[in-house]
Amino acid sequence: MSSELNTEAAREVEPLLPIEKKLIGYSLGLGIVLLVILVAINHLFPLTL
Amino acid sequence: MSDIAVRPATGVISKGSLTEDWLALVIGVLVFALSLFSLGGFDLLGWAVTTSVYTDLGKALAPVAKGYSSLGGLGSLAATYAALLVVLTAGVAALGGDVRRFVLAFTVVFAIAYSSWIAGSYAYVAVVTPADQQKFGISWSLKLTNEGGFIVALAAGLVIANVFPRFAEWLKEAIRPELYIKIAIVILGATIAVTAAGRLNLASSIILRGVAAIVEAYLIYWSVVYFVARKWFGFSREWSVPLASGISICGVAAAIATGGAIRARPSVPILVSSLVVVFAVVEILILPFLAQTFLWQEPLVAGAWMGLAIKTDGAAVAGGGITESLILAKAAAEGIKYQPGWILATTATVKVFIDIFIGIWAFILGYIWTNHVTPRADKARASEIWERFPKFILGFVAVFAISLWLAVGTTPDIAKALPAAANEANVFRVIFFILTFFSIGVLSDFRKLWQDGFAKLAAVYVVSLFGFVIWVGLLISWLFFSGFKPPLAS
Repeated sequence: MSSELNTEAAREVEPLLPIEKKLIGYSLGLGIVLLVILVAINHLFPLTL
Repeated sequence: MSDIAVRPATGVISKGSLTEDWLALVIGVLVFALSLFSLGGFDLLGWAVTTSVYTDLGKALAPVAKGYSSLGGLGSLAATYAALLVVLTAGVAALGGDVRRFVLAFTVVFAIAYSSWIAGSYAYVAVVTPADQQKFGISWSLKLTNEGGFIVALAAGLVIANVFPRFAEWLKEAIRPELYIKIAIVILGATIAVTAAGRLNLASSIILRGVAAIVEAYLIYWSVVYFVARKWFGFSREWSVPLASGISICGVAAAIATGGAIRARPSVPILVSSLVVVFAVVEILILPFLAQTFLWQEPLVAGAWMGLAIKTDGAAVAGGGITESLILAKAAAEGIKYQPGWILATTATVKVFIDIFIGIWAFILGYIWTNHVTPRADKARASEIWERFPKFILGFVAVFAISLWLAVGTTPDIAKALPAAANEANVFRVIFFILTFFSIGVLSDFRKLWQDGFAKLAAVYVVSLFGFVIWVGLLISWLFFSGFKPPLAS
């Protein structure tokens, strides 16, 4: 299997496709927005004992 | 297989529709069901062995229930070994494994793993407080708590993997960390429910915060690691997807599920999985002690951090267990006695929430890949969500729900008897934890890390893990859990 990794290291770099850029950008953007919302909810409804 | 960093766990083995996931569910639920008989006065698991902190080895072992005290320590140990051997051998036979090799290997695995646990309970290793030192008549100890036995088991496995590789190879039929930890997690559902029943508000708050873990793992970690692997290190899509999933979500299961979803060659996610296991071991050895030092005043932050930062179910939940014992010990030394179970419950909740979405994420990636990246005829199917779903979680949810109902929705008599029943099941949870730690160690051959080609893969992991996964995980844990403590022990 290490030979597959060596082949991988030697191969030409595949450029990022537009769909990959979208996937990365949308995931990150959505993730940050949702986290901000969750932090706000957490602030409004804190952990209760 | 000989040229990878660690041999993959045999979790991919299956026969027909039975997989290790289903097997873990069946065994975990079986242990839980047997424990419930004690609610009706029939103690079917009281013979299981437990280990106390000791200076006299003869007093270390005992059956968990006093009703079985006539068995003695060694008798209960033998009974526990025999019961596990029968059940697991039947399971391995059902999976199509080599029964004869499993019986021999499991005997050795159980012997070494449980011996490690006994060694970890030696007073000089385990005792934490000055009062206990006085009680045992000792002047010093390593203060690892009796759960230091997990570290001993892990170390024993690492020695075997790195010094006696042929012996490690001989043991492989019984080296099944994914199976062991999944059984443990199913059983853990009962302990968490009993713990949660006492503080339903806190428990439901922790569960709600599990949502943040999903967002972090799938949307933030994954996209950043994928970008790093593709853009900075020049890995192909075939390698970057399993790598990002392994580092971000849940090592072995996510790497294999998403690798399959984008139709990567099978060897790719397996190699990535091996890398994840090696780094998870490194994390277990470091993070709990960092948490004890810097987060002992924020126990729930520490618990959530373990679930977010350590990849693979086994290592994360095991790390949560060590963190709990270390932090409870440190807090006890400072005069604060927290109720046990909350830190581990937080880790397990975070991890289970992350696991639930593996199938959905694999489907999303499969859909994108088969429609937009490499369009092909065999497009991703919605049924793959179910196929990729970690089935043992159904067992965890069922055990948790039934236990919670028994604790808060039935008669006071049943609610009063439930903790003892859950405690008997928990004995097996601990034993499966020990087997997990030892197995993870045996699978971790660090020498292979230096082989050609592996360094670049490891570099992505190091950059991602130590560059942001650990620290973002800490930040998120802090944002959602800081300032809230487990209830104090009464």
